[in-house]
Amino acid sequence: MAGMTLVEKILAKASGRSKVRPGEVVVANVDLLLMHDLSGYLTSRVYEAEVARPMRYPERVVMVFDHHFSPPTEERAEILEATRAFARKYGIHLFDCGSGNIHHAAVQNGFVRPGTVVVGSDSHTPVHGTLGCFAAGLGNNSHAGMVMPFGKAWFRVPETIAVNLSGRLKPVVTPRDAALWLTGQIGEGGAVYKALHFRGPFLEGLSVWDRWLFPLITIDVGGKCAYIDPDEKTVEFVRALTSQPFELYTTDPDAEYVEEQHYDVSDLEPQVAASPTLGNVGPVSRFAGAPIQWAELGGHGGGRLEDFRQAAEILKGRKIAPGVKLNLVPSSREVFRQALREGLVEALYEAGGTWFPPSTGSNQAINMGAMSQYEAMVSTHARNFPGRNGSPKAMMYLGSAYTVAASAVKGAIADPREFLG
Amino acid sequence: MKARGRCWKFGDNIPTDQIVRSDRALVSMEEMRRHVLENLNPRFPKEVQPGDILVAGKHFGQSSGRAVAPKALKATGIGAIVVEYAARLFYRNCFEIGLPLLECPGITAGVEDGDILSVDIASGEIVDETNGRRFQARPVDPFLMRMLEAGGIIPLAAELAEED
Ligand code: SF4
Repeated sequence: MAGMTLVEKILAKASGRSKVRPGEVVVANVDLLLMHDLSGYLTSRVYEAEVARPMRYPERVVMVFDHHFSPPTEERAEILEATRAFARKYGIHLFDCGSGNIHHAAVQNGFVRPGTVVVGSDSHTPVHGTLGCFAAGLGNNSHAGMVMPFGKAWFRVPETIAVNLSGRLKPVVTPRDAALWLTGQIGEGGAVYKALHFRGPFLEGLSVWDRWLFPLITIDVGGKCAYIDPDEKTVEFVRALTSQPFELYTTDPDAEYVEEQHYDVSDLEPQVAASPTLGNVGPVSRFAGAPIQWAELGGHGGGRLEDFRQAAEILKGRKIAPGVKLNLVPSSREVFRQALREGLVEALYEAGGTWFPPSTGSNQAINMGAMSQYEAMVSTHARNFPGRNGSPKAMMYLGSAYTVAASAVKGAIADPREFLG
Repeated sequence: MKARGRCWKFGDNIPTDQIVRSDRALVSMEEMRRHVLENLNPRFPKEVQPGDILVAGKHFGQSSGRAVAPKALKATGIGAIVVEYAARLFYRNCFEIGLPLLECPGITAGVEDGDILSVDIASGEIVDETNGRRFQARPVDPFLMRMLEAGGIIPLAAELAEED
């Protein structure tokens, strides 16, 4: 009998079976439910209005207020207050305004551990497969109706695509460029309902926070979940964050895939993905010269320490172009503390940037206002869909932190290699 | 389980942000319903009638997986959604809130906006009464049919949690 993938093993264990196969529907125990202020509020309303049962495992529920680092209106303040009251009433974990973005806060606070089942309303929840979890996005009704009262959720066991990554990146080309490029290669809708197993020498050579950028694209290629088999780097990373025990599951050598894909990153140029979707991705030269008024290191894909370090390589001793606003949004409090220690806070401030509280940044036009139809932003966000950051006509370009920094200096999309080496 | 009504046809890769604007995700359902899909067809929220059929292309409902997008569509009273294929989370959410969705490769080429469609959810049979064409959608998994018949995940959850 063929072996099992990491996802099959975790789902089998969590549903009390010895084996599961793609296509089967299982009801599995959930170890962690993650919600942000928007999904948390919506889920809490469904739970209170439609589910008249006690909460089974409140200690497994984590809420992070990341779309608001402070509420912009009285109405929003009331929504946050109602959600806080909900968290208190049931005893669930709450990370209040200023704690960072949902996924980073969950990882940094040790809630994400290998071998577990992680669910969330947020469609980027599969990112937690980076640490060897089965992590999938579910809807509010799953959470309110089944996870909260029973600690369980239903899943169809997905088929798995192996994505083998090899090669070495050229200078100034980053793992984020590789992940953006890969979105175009796998294609929007290229992995619908599938699990993606990211592996190969390129991936294994990366740090955990750089590996993280690959499962982040799962939703944009239509996947259900993604994972990386945990190794020593994973274990060391998690041990530094939590003393809780965890189990390591890895994929059997004879596990079955529906497809194997191979990619070599060696020839890549810096990549940019322009609205309307992530699939609209290409080398930076295709978009170079397009004017931008906003540049942001933040959002759910960015605001990592690595991003601020890269930006500082370009921005140290330089100034951003007149008329450009550079938003600096740490993904967690730990990132801000470390950026302070490394002098990055001052360097990027002197270049003309503005620091914002740890949060999801301007994503979804809540924390930091909206863009008009005449404006464009270049960022490390995870998304570039029209209407997400204000006017549906506002443009969003996604790129590496190098590309964001270079574009901020030029006031237009720019190739970071003009500034570095 | 059947639906019959006017076909409202939309394109490929429509994200949930275009179904309901993400910066309006916390407004009332009534307000959301009045703006649902208005960016892509301003007539839709104004003229859609209970029982109408929403037809769309590939990867319908991608992007954020919050259930307010299918809930706003359900609030219009539409009888079913028929797409080339749906984004995973959107697919799941539809069944969890009791809104039937069929995946039918080839549907967008075969029907026109404004046609009268009749849809049999259980069998997957779709008839365009205006041009006489027939289509066969992928069958809905029995587990999901059971959820639709129960009215969504919430009424079914206790039963499921005990079964396994
Ligand atoms: S961009 Fe942020 S809010 Fe949106 S789905 Fe991703 S993690 Fe969630």
